[in-house]
Amino acid sequence: MNKAQQEAYLREYSQAKKEGKSFFPYAIYKDHIVAILAFGWIIGMAIWHKVEIGKPVYAATTDFVPRPEWYFFFLFELLKIFKGQNALMPVIMATFIVPNVLMVLLLLTPFIDRGPERRISRRPIALATAVVVFASLAWLTHKGATSEAPTGEGPAIQNLTPEAEAGYVLFQDNACLSCHKLGGSGGVLGPDLSNEGSKAHGVQWHIDHLKNPQAVSPGSAMPAYAGFTDEEYQNLGTFLDGLGTKWKAG
Amino acid sequence: MSTTNIGPKGPAGQVGEAVVDYVEDRTGAKTGLTWFLKRNIPAETSWFQTLGFAAMAVFGLQAVTGIFLAMYYKPDPSRAYQSIEHITNDVTWGWLVRGMHKWGASAMIVLVFLHMARVFIFGSYKYPRELTWVTGAMLLIMTMFMGLTGYLLVWDEKAYWATVVAMNITASAPILGPYVADILRAGSEFNGDTLSRFYSIHMLAIPGGIATFIGLHLFLVAKLGISEPPHSHRLARVRREEEAARRAAARDRQPHGRRQVTPETSPQTISAEGGS
Repeated sequence: MNKAQQEAYLREYSQAKKEGKSFFPYAIYKDHIVAILAFGWIIGMAIWHKVEIGKPVYAATTDFVPRPEWYFFFLFELLKIFKGQNALMPVIMATFIVPNVLMVLLLLTPFIDRGPERRISRRPIALATAVVVFASLAWLTHKGATSEAPTGEGPAIQNLTPEAEAGYVLFQDNACLSCHKLGGSGGVLGPDLSNEGSKAHGVQWHIDHLKNPQAVSPGSAMPAYAGFTDEEYQNLGTFLDGLGTKWKAG
Repeated sequence: MSTTNIGPKGPAGQVGEAVVDYVEDRTGAKTGLTWFLKRNIPAETSWFQTLGFAAMAVFGLQAVTGIFLAMYYKPDPSRAYQSIEHITNDVTWGWLVRGMHKWGASAMIVLVFLHMARVFIFGSYKYPRELTWVTGAMLLIMTMFMGLTGYLLVWDEKAYWATVVAMNITASAPILGPYVADILRAGSEFNGDTLSRFYSIHMLAIPGGIATFIGLHLFLVAKLGISEPPHSHRLARVRREEEAARRAAARDRQPHGRRQVTPETSPQTISAEGGS
């Protein structure tokens, strides 16, 4: 908007105000009706959908599913899209670049779109942006809400040594599958572990990684598993180090 | 504001008037309230323009239910879960207050996003309301952070691990990521102080920021006025009149508009110009 358009707008708006009516009570009564409806909805939901409480944090088994509140599903699903282990779609796109670019664009909207037209029917670019943004948010949220938490037993694995067998039990009990894939089943937040052994990290690397993932794999989102015994670490490390090489998920 | 004089006021009325005058004299509160409440706004405001107020009202509800929850909640890893159980199962109406706080959070996020959509569709962020939009965008971001920090406080498995992962993701961001994550976690790893830090951020830092920005946002809304819906009947009439005036002016500019039509002017020119 140039100076003349700004002045024209102010002139037009002061005319609208002159022909208008008082904020109190003519607008504020509408505001209160909608606010009371919102309060009613909240109280109704609180009564008919009682909020549950999950298991305490320090329970013996940690069969958790790391899922955020529904209003962060869009970021969570974004993370899954960019988890393809693909150089063109690195994870940093979902964790850092896309959210921050969206945030900056949100803050800068009035400085990007400065045209005088306010009718949405005559702002095709703005209309397209609004439709795309809201459709993507709705789609990603819906996807996050309907995606089943990956649980279950996990695939059968042949030729396990007793040590690795014990490791696999730990793997299943600690819900590793909610983030990692094994032989086609499991979550996508973490890397696919079906061929983990082919990376030849060694058992000790896996033990260090379980105790403090970020120390050996910087930038990892995996939580630390610090509560195992030395024997359990050994079993789990042995199991992970042979995946895809010594034993295969079928 | 009433101009009807119905005789001398009784003692109570006199005291009331004296108090109002006293406060007005020292604070200007009456002038301020009149400025805020009795300002004119465009006649045809839409029902969609009530969403911002509803979001603010739900924030107020969150503050009230939050105060009651804070009376029973213990921001200590060894007692947090039990205190939530206590609120949910033992405290009178505790389940209701907790439920309202939880559902209120969802309602507030929805209302803030819908309000943003309305402002965007109406083009209300344009001159002169650019900075009103910026304060609103800050409010939206802070509302999301309220959700993030509040989720952990329940201290159940789901909340705990989701927040651990969220903090690890924060730490993976370049340059500032590790520092921000360390600040949020009160250290390089999730620990006992993390919970009280989230508690403090959730109920002191961000609410203070939200209250401040609501104040700024409201002041700007009152100062600049609520925008007129771009499809209002009044604006349509103005546009019609402008268009008619423009056409009339275009007709006037034609050489034969006011002058005598000379025989040389062909009738085709008139119909071609006038019919466009």
